[in-house]
Amino acid sequence: MTPSGISRIPVVRSVLLVVVIWCAASFIYAPIFSVLRFAFAPEGDIGLGAIGELAGSRRVRTAIVNTLVVTGLSVITVNVIGIFQVAVLEYLRVGGRGFLRFAYSTPLIFVSVAAATGYGFVYGQTGALTRLLQSVWPALPNDWFTGTLAVVFAHTFLLTSFHFLFLRAAIRRVDYSTVEAARGLGASNMEAFVRVVLPVLLPTIFATTLLVTYKSLGSFAIPSVLGGRRFDMVTELILTLNSLRRPDMAAMLSIGLGLAVILCIAAMQYVERRGSYVGGSKTPVPIERISIASPVVNLAVHAAAYAIAVIQLVPIALVVLFSFAPARSIATEVLPTSFTLQNYVTVFSQSTAFVPLKNSLLMGASATMAGIMISLFVVNLAHRHANIGTTSLDLSFMAPWILPAPFIAIGLILTYDEPNLLVANRVLLGGFWILPIGYAVVSIPIMMRFLRAAFFSLDPALNEAAQSLGAPASYRFLRVTIPLVLPVMILIAAMTLNGILSEYSMSAFLFNVNNKPLSIALFEGARSANPEQAAINLVYISLIMAFSLGIVTLADRYGLGGGK
Amino acid sequence: MTRKHWLAGAMTLLCLLGTSAATAEPLVIYSPQGDERAVWIAEEAAAAGHDVTILTAGGGELFDRILAERANPQADVVLGLIDAAMATLKAEGLFQPYVPNWAEGLPEVYRDDADRMVYKFWQTPVVIAYNSDMLPEGDAPASWLELVEDRYAGKYVIGPTTWQTTKTYLIGMLLRFADDGGEISDEGWDFMQRLYDNAIVVDSADAKTAAFVNKEAVIDLNWFGGVGRQAGDVGYKAVVVDTEGGTPFIAEGIAVMKGTDQLDDAKAFVDWFGSAEFMSAYAARFGQVPVHPDAIAAAPDTIKRNATLLRPQPIDWDVVAPRIDGWIQRIELDIK
Repeated sequence: MTPSGISRIPVVRSVLLVVVIWCAASFIYAPIFSVLRFAFAPEGDIGLGAIGELAGSRRVRTAIVNTLVVTGLSVITVNVIGIFQVAVLEYLRVGGRGFLRFAYSTPLIFVSVAAATGYGFVYGQTGALTRLLQSVWPALPNDWFTGTLAVVFAHTFLLTSFHFLFLRAAIRRVDYSTVEAARGLGASNMEAFVRVVLPVLLPTIFATTLLVTYKSLGSFAIPSVLGGRRFDMVTELILTLNSLRRPDMAAMLSIGLGLAVILCIAAMQYVERRGSYVGGSKTPVPIERISIASPVVNLAVHAAAYAIAVIQLVPIALVVLFSFAPARSIATEVLPTSFTLQNYVTVFSQSTAFVPLKNSLLMGASATMAGIMISLFVVNLAHRHANIGTTSLDLSFMAPWILPAPFIAIGLILTYDEPNLLVANRVLLGGFWILPIGYAVVSIPIMMRFLRAAFFSLDPALNEAAQSLGAPASYRFLRVTIPLVLPVMILIAAMTLNGILSEYSMSAFLFNVNNKPLSIALFEGARSANPEQAAINLVYISLIMAFSLGIVTLADRYGLGGGK
Repeated sequence: MTRKHWLAGAMTLLCLLGTSAATAEPLVIYSPQGDERAVWIAEEAAAAGHDVTILTAGGGELFDRILAERANPQADVVLGLIDAAMATLKAEGLFQPYVPNWAEGLPEVYRDDADRMVYKFWQTPVVIAYNSDMLPEGDAPASWLELVEDRYAGKYVIGPTTWQTTKTYLIGMLLRFADDGGEISDEGWDFMQRLYDNAIVVDSADAKTAAFVNKEAVIDLNWFGGVGRQAGDVGYKAVVVDTEGGTPFIAEGIAVMKGTDQLDDAKAFVDWFGSAEFMSAYAARFGQVPVHPDAIAAAPDTIKRNATLLRPQPIDWDVVAPRIDGWIQRIELDIK
């Protein structure tokens, strides 16, 4: 680095600082302010008229009730299935553990709108499973899989990923000597599990419960695709209100959703903080899996374990199989009888089919790059100079973590539907960039969490060594810090891109003809009666899952978020 | 060179750039005329020397889009949106005055003598039709108000309120319960609730078609041209009812967007599109009824017959337009 280069760095950093502050002001604070303004003072006078109108609307009330009912039921069903899965994998001796672990891990790669569309494909009106069930039970109506039943069912088998990740890690911390002691005192397996193991797991179960609540309250793609006629959840209604040109009501409802979510997160933090006291012993005896003595119970557990695995695997298997089948076999065959690559050729060669994929990759890549750069800058700044300024900058970018996506989306719409000085008096709504901006805003908090963890685990001696050799701060950052956190950065970038490929909440609000993303193409395709369109959808889902599988495997290897 | 010269030179250059850009880029037209209609219009326009790109989308979606783009309009010409939508866009100041050369001879209701911006070229009744293979003539509804009766439960389909057609018949029915000030009575909202409760409510064209394919639905609430298409797609014979109390008519208009950079091309396109020659050709091909007497005169006999087939329900769109948003909100939030 030349001397002039050294003197240039503070200038570069100042410019970057200005850009980052501008980003926070334009894409976090301005949207939040717009939402508050439209909710409480749409005409300039402060009032709560929107609340009255929301309460007066039958459809809004029904949507709130639906959301609460779905969330209440999902919390129960997801916990039952999730805890059972963890018991099967880590506490009980059940044959075919590798297979079961694979099946139970699928919610990590089968997510959001891709999963919803996949479920719609197999359980929907002309779905293979619907027809299979009808051959056994002819009275089953075509549209049996709809409403609360469909949404809770999908939640039950798609939201167990938190249990798979966190609860399994927690059960491994259980001290097996306590289980043995309980059994020595005459407790049965079941009693030992309930009286000894579960109490240790309780804080984690609480945390996963809150995560499921949080996910279910903001559930969007699943009810949109599977809910059917006359079934709305709150997120969908925010979108409807926005399209009915009632931004005040949309803003107010998104505030309500935001408050519910914030409550959840606050509870979660509280439990997390308390939970660290219930860590189990320092030198635990690793847990050993227990054979079930009673043959009847053993059979029942095996049956249930495999039934769950089948329920989770069959939709994925059918989606992948039919993606290689001719379009005409969709909706006419239970299993495809011939195979072809034609659908994949169509997606990559036909512009209308390829455009959504291209759009999503382009928007995902730009959002990820911008997000990583902002996160890196802010985390590094806050790490090295902890003061009020850097901390508040850090917190600003963390804010979207506690705000549901519809809240931020409505904020962006209300801020940028007319020329705004913050963006050189341009209109962003209707353009290409508003959606990637939204993606970046919601991705940054998670990036920052991982990057911060990576920064704190850096060995300060390396930096000091470089410093004592005379390297200036910028040089140390580029040549010492960056290479050390690079693997984490690449992994986070890949995970973010993976998430954006099937992101639905932000997309549904901000997409337009210039940037139609994959998730919206999937959603529209799911409502089309055209088998060609269905075939294209299956290819999209398969591609998303393949990409996710790669990322999860990678994350697992680096010990980030994944876990055996 | 003096400063003045510089300025003049720059202006000339700008003008040159302007014209070259105008001739290089096709005229952008927003229209809800989809599929083969848009393709055919574009081909005919090209044959007549107009270089156009037609962006098609649902009427409601297009309307929202034009409003959203108001600060940065992408379209040069809007065609095919109906009375209420055109009235709103005009009120928002999005149009450029232009009186087409075919305005003369157009009946007054289709002209825009006050603002000289929006001129109508087609009219379409929004009708009740029924599948005569499934429903005997005597059992068909004789009026829109009969749809709420038990015998029609689950036999007709209501589409999304973003569709112009859906909006039109809902408004047509609500207006029967309006007082002089345009307020809808409680009885009217009651009726609307029963209308929805009695219907198959869908959110896509495919779902609507599916209801007819499954033979659940036998009554089609549709615009006149759509009736035949729906029947053709599904494969049944459709009969249109001349209802008691009249049928709501909608007329589609054309207007030049304010701020277009290709004003002359836009005007030329509007003149060509509304001409009796093109209108009658379009009528012959797609069965649409034009409003210009010259165009009707040049159209095939079936079109002439269709032009007077149904009794219209009198609707004053100027009064209705500003209320529509509120009504649709109420339907969406309280009734649907």
